[in-house]
Amino acid sequence: MRTATGIGMLWLLLALPLGVIADGNGLAELFGRIRLTGAAEFRYEETRILELAAAPVKSTGYLLSSPDGSLVKLQLSPRRIIMAISGGQMLYYDEEQKQRHTASLSFAGSAQQQISLFRALLQGRNEELQAVYDFTMERRGKHWKLALNVKPGQTGEDVPAMEIEGDDRNGKRQILIRQADGESSRYTMEKTGEGQSLEFSIQRLLLEAAGE
Amino acid sequence: MPFIWRKRLFLLLLPLLLGLTAWKIHPETDLNAFFTATDSEDSALLAGLLQSGELSRRYLLMVEPNAASPTAALPKNPAAATATLSLFTAELVRQLAGLDAVERVWPAHGPPREWMSTVQQYAPYHARIYSLSPQDEGKVLFDPGQLVQRAKGLQLALFSPQGGFLKPIAKQDPLLLSLNGFKSMRQVLDIQSRQDSNVTALVLQSRPAALDAEAQASLQNSIRTRFDALNQAAGGVFRLRMTGIPIFTVAAQAEIKRDVTLVSIVSSVGVALVFLLLFRSFAALHWMLLIQMASFAVGALACSLAFSHIHTLTLALGASLIGICTDYPMHVLVHCAKHRQTPVSAAQLLWPSLLMGGLTTIIGYVAMGMTGFPGLGQIAVFAAASIAAALGLTRWVLPALLGDRNLHPAHLPGIGAWVSFCERRRPLLLGVFAISVIAALATLPHIRWMDDLQKLAMDMGEMRREDDAIRSHFTSIEPGRFVIVQAPDMEAALQRSEAVELRLQKLKSSGDLADYHGLFPWLVSKQLQTENATTYAAALNPEFRDAWRVALANAGLSVEKLGSLLPASADPLRPEAVLATPVRQIVSGQIMQQKSGVALSIWLGKHEPAKLAESLTGLEGVRYFSQKDQLDSMAQQHRDRSLNMLAVGIGIMSLFIWLQQRSIVNVLFTLLPSLSAVLFIFATWSVLREEVSFLHVIGLLLSVSLCVDYGIFFMDNRGHDTDITYHAIASSTLTTLASFGALGLAKTPTLPILAISVSLGVTVGFLLCPLLIRSGLEKRSNR
Repeated sequence: MRTATGIGMLWLLLALPLGVIADGNGLAELFGRIRLTGAAEFRYEETRILELAAAPVKSTGYLLSSPDGSLVKLQLSPRRIIMAISGGQMLYYDEEQKQRHTASLSFAGSAQQQISLFRALLQGRNEELQAVYDFTMERRGKHWKLALNVKPGQTGEDVPAMEIEGDDRNGKRQILIRQADGESSRYTMEKTGEGQSLEFSIQRLLLEAAGE
Repeated sequence: MPFIWRKRLFLLLLPLLLGLTAWKIHPETDLNAFFTATDSEDSALLAGLLQSGELSRRYLLMVEPNAASPTAALPKNPAAATATLSLFTAELVRQLAGLDAVERVWPAHGPPREWMSTVQQYAPYHARIYSLSPQDEGKVLFDPGQLVQRAKGLQLALFSPQGGFLKPIAKQDPLLLSLNGFKSMRQVLDIQSRQDSNVTALVLQSRPAALDAEAQASLQNSIRTRFDALNQAAGGVFRLRMTGIPIFTVAAQAEIKRDVTLVSIVSSVGVALVFLLLFRSFAALHWMLLIQMASFAVGALACSLAFSHIHTLTLALGASLIGICTDYPMHVLVHCAKHRQTPVSAAQLLWPSLLMGGLTTIIGYVAMGMTGFPGLGQIAVFAAASIAAALGLTRWVLPALLGDRNLHPAHLPGIGAWVSFCERRRPLLLGVFAISVIAALATLPHIRWMDDLQKLAMDMGEMRREDDAIRSHFTSIEPGRFVIVQAPDMEAALQRSEAVELRLQKLKSSGDLADYHGLFPWLVSKQLQTENATTYAAALNPEFRDAWRVALANAGLSVEKLGSLLPASADPLRPEAVLATPVRQIVSGQIMQQKSGVALSIWLGKHEPAKLAESLTGLEGVRYFSQKDQLDSMAQQHRDRSLNMLAVGIGIMSLFIWLQQRSIVNVLFTLLPSLSAVLFIFATWSVLREEVSFLHVIGLLLSVSLCVDYGIFFMDNRGHDTDITYHAIASSTLTTLASFGALGLAKTPTLPILAISVSLGVTVGFLLCPLLIRSGLEKRSNR
């Protein structure tokens, strides 16, 4: 009996690393696919389900990602707003309401934390996400889906669960962010440009957001 | 008791006494405790505000590019430079937050996160706290015509990045009334930095008290070590600047420590050298040093029994007492050596004079202790006990210690010549003296009194400039000027404070006041809460509720979740409950419990003092408080009290001398040298345009108490030999100069003032003795 238990444990020990490695390889391959190494631009449509809104709130605009890690969200509809992360700073500029905020990400609240996680997911920075999330991956042909569930023990409400899915045939992606209180944001994105030429636009938008 | 047993008993008890003293004394390093008088309520209030709460425990830190770094520089791209700075600061904050002595650290451009969440806790009380003037402001807040705009504003706020913060508030308080009082939150919530992408300003709140110099020094060292390690890794591109009350505390403590050590060593060595020069006997020196040690220990022990702590400055000034305590053995030794008497007969012979001299010195110190400074009170106790011990030991133990030892005192050059000169030229010298007295009296009305206590503070010019430079990056409240509200209880104080804030709001809108930090809406009086609730209830009619629901629907917000406007909470927001939350940290330093009730302070931004004071007229229990004015007024009070104590001290000394001498003339002669010395010193300061403070007066009071001894000894002339008596006085003068002169080496400005006053007083008094005290001269014998 004791021998049988010992053999069972041995199989378990042998099997465990194999499963992790196999899963790790798939994840690494997926993050390699998601990862943005150069400047990229996506047109997005966002649908937010908010507890205090009467109906889903829709907005559209562009997401611009820079190789240095900067991310600019340029909302054009229903009104123009720039929200950006650059270096350790988060920038917010609402032209119509004449509101401009700058905050360090390290000291920021839940909104800034969520935007940081969103950036990590969009840009495929798995090392930032691994500390917070457990990953579950699905793949059906060219379609793939990665679910990020908050690890047990993470300080709860501020960290949202996320999903990213895409199709290698059309380059479209969807990101779903679900808050613990039931609120959610769904982004549908399509790559509309990439390359060095976008750097100028990104810098210009960052300067505008910072008010410089 | 036989001498041998006295000696053995002394040698046995001395180590016990020293051990007991070391065990009992707890040196205090709190400067305010030493210098700030707390016998008036205003002084206590000022001291309390200076020392209270979290504000005094805060450091302001600035991380900025190191322009002096020759090897490394920040990226030239401004965005990249800002990012580097931001990441560096974030790591620094993370590391500093992990230090045991750090309560919290946060970037100065915004309040700590938990403070923001305290605002959410006010939502259930929204109907009770939304306005300082609900009847007036309610007209706008509850105008149905404004609701469309307000619902739109709510929608924008909820859809913005601040939505997460606002949602729990909006669910309980859809009109966001609870935030109305916090409208100017960025101004209300503590200090903030001006946005400057090249510099990061941080606020660090320490756990140890601001005046706990040792803990604060250790913390400052840790902060610098962490910064240096990080900066080294970053290529040395940044530099750290710090200011705050604890920075000054540590610097002051270091100076005081240096002063105490220096004064103690120089004073002790000086007295020992004078003694050796006079008697050339190491054996006598070591007995005398043991007597001094015992006297010092008795003084320190008495002090520690009378007070919970003994200040390090008391020990420093106490060290100067060594010189005075030496006077009594010195007189015995001089007579013993010159007359070839045994120590016991010399001590018996001189005892009445010694006793009277010691008594007058104690009177001087006690008078000094009654000038109002807590620290001087300690020194008075210290001195009284030390002098009493020195007298007793001189009378009963010194003869036992010395046995039949022969002493050969040096003949001090010039002593005999000065006495003879005074005798020969007496009429001429008295004439000169009389003219000098008249001239000196004429100058007295022109004395310049020092009315600014800051001039007595330690010179920290460089640190002050650094403090100004760092604070210029913070939108700060004016230090040292505020409105003080006093009332018998918290409710009355809050009502008065709210009345003040209404006036200040008007002043602010007219541009005469840049900003202020009040207590509303963190703490709201019950009366105002009821007023708010009544106005709210009256405004929330069916028409208003319907208009709100329509406005919500138009803004695309949930009528179901936000459409119900709840009635005011039944229970008021109680100050005790609020102060049990982190709000206590926000209003720290603004609430003081006093003997007569509660005092609240309202901090002020830039303002015109006269206009501000005028705006407060008619408000009960309210006044404009200027720390500088208060300190100036304290300086005047101290000066007046010092002068009074000088007069009282002289009066009591005269009484005791009269009780011994039973002759008014003798009393006058005894006092004349010291009083003349005081007059001439005042006149000299007047001519030199020296600013005279209460410390100068206290110094002169001490010099009188010491100098009167000379008069007593000279007058009594118990050895019937003026030359010997004057030699003994000269020896005392030299040891006093050696010990008090050592105070002149201190950097703490108060100590050199005492050094100059006492040294001048005793020197002039000593020189005047043979001129002014004729009765002693009559007894002079030719050697």
